[in-house]
Amino acid sequence: MADRLENRLLALRTERDLTQAALAELVGVSRKTINTVENGVFIPSTVLALKLARALGEPVEAIFSLPPEN
Amino acid sequence: MTTSTDIETADKLSRRRARALPALAVIFLSQQAAYFSSYAEDGTRAVDHVKIAAWLVLSIVMLVVLTTGGFWFRPARIRALMDDEVTRANRTEAFRIGFLVTMIAAIGLYVLNLFEPLSGGEAIHIMMTAGLATALIRFGFLERRALKDG
Repeated sequence: MADRLENRLLALRTERDLTQAALAELVGVSRKTINTVENGVFIPSTVLALKLARALGEPVEAIFSLPPEN
Repeated sequence: MTTSTDIETADKLSRRRARALPALAVIFLSQQAAYFSSYAEDGTRAVDHVKIAAWLVLSIVMLVVLTTGGFWFRPARIRALMDDEVTRANRTEAFRIGFLVTMIAAIGLYVLNLFEPLSGGEAIHIMMTAGLATALIRFGFLERRALKDG
């Protein structure tokens, strides 16, 4: 079972000229949460993943994906 | 509604908490020798009761801070930001490690008791101190890692 989740959060956030704090404000979480998700330190819940997708105006699978199978 | 000021305040307070909790745990651990002198003596003097009661109160306060996140007099929205998903996950991990260390201490004390009888108070004191200090240090470490930029 995959315990890693790849994400494009940093790329999508910077494309929109958003700081971590600005995205955190849109989603209603702390900047620390955005930071840990971007760095792959923390795998977000489904609810948080959907909130991030809504804030960025992207489908959730455009932000998060499973690593390719070997 | 979350504002940028709320985010900044929560960030600042989270950093303060991440620095303070491990420091508090180290101070807590370093003071244990003083408490054990109370058990070593017959422990019936008033000063011994005060020392042990002080340790118990400090332990309860630290447990409540770790469980609730502290900063009780801050607005609820700030406290909610400081207790979001990452913090709850870090706390769960800290409790897991704390529980494991408590169980290891209990096993060690059980074996030690076969050779050197211990009082119930001493055993509980060691298990609580080990578990609580480990959980506080682990939580602080995880929070600091989460707050680190980049």
